[in-house]
Amino acid sequence: MNRKTLALGSVALLVVALAIAAIWYVTHPAQTAQVQNASKTVTQSTLAAGAKAPEFEASTTAGLFDLAKTTKPVFLEVFATWCPHCQRETQVLNKLFAQYGKQIAFVAVSGSDTGMDGSSPASQADVLAFAQKFAVAYPIAYDGQMTVFDLYNQGGYPTIVIIDKKKTITYAASGEIAYADLTAQIQRVLK
Amino acid sequence: MGLLLLAAGALKIGHAPALAAAIAGYHLLPAAVVAPLSISLPFVEVFLGLYLTVGLFVRFVGWVAAAQFGLYALAIASAVIRHIPANCGCFGPDDVATADWPHVALDLLLGALCAFVAWRAPGALALDGKLKKA
Repeated sequence: MNRKTLALGSVALLVVALAIAAIWYVTHPAQTAQVQNASKTVTQSTLAAGAKAPEFEASTTAGLFDLAKTTKPVFLEVFATWCPHCQRETQVLNKLFAQYGKQIAFVAVSGSDTGMDGSSPASQADVLAFAQKFAVAYPIAYDGQMTVFDLYNQGGYPTIVIIDKKKTITYAASGEIAYADLTAQIQRVLK
Repeated sequence: MGLLLLAAGALKIGHAPALAAAIAGYHLLPAAVVAPLSISLPFVEVFLGLYLTVGLFVRFVGWVAAAQFGLYALAIASAVIRHIPANCGCFGPDDVATADWPHVALDLLLGALCAFVAWRAPGALALDGKLKKA
């Protein structure tokens, strides 16, 4: 086999692999919708660490959460049920909730207009299905108006914000954040 | 270098939504580009890795890989400069490392190594050399 044949064969192989991937996604609309949703760039809130946390309320699976009325530091997550990072982050948040749930008020609020399958509209039922599927132990809420998302999102899913007792933001970031990093931020706010 | 690219690509295959979210997190490309890129990039990395590993078309593949690492370094640096908390997305969905200066340095180093491999190609064990002799 000469170099020219190998080169042509290589290009053909790459094209076939890409074609198979493209066909697979086209024939799996749920996956395609997930990819399209994940590809959207989210406009970032101007809030950052050091800023006063804006007031919000959320009707969670553990009752009404009102930032103004809570006396504990707050761990807020803004998530999307279709977002793979958010789905995996549930395990990290469950672990943190088990460890710090008595000292910190945890609240996770939905922040997307799209449901878990990536194509249907977001809903209360979709958020509850997400909680059940990923065994979410912490309070979780559906926010149809996306008010909390508009106030707090940091440019991606999930957005995680930690607020101290004085209602000042001590940490705000987006993306899949490791357990150790979040533990360090929680320890700071508990000091 | 080849094995590194091979692993990076293989770990991303089948996780297009996670890769799309990671790429979109850099706020550099429109969604219309991010979606196809998230599907095709893992395969391109696997192929580049495969050819570097067996030593086939090393000169061409080495320069392509060097350019790729250079682009990664630029993207990560832009995220750091703009204070965007982007996920690196380097080694698939389980890689939760944040885009930071050490990653920029690492990508520049890997890019330089790929360029060196391309410049010195073919190596003693490369298939390219054996094909030339044949």
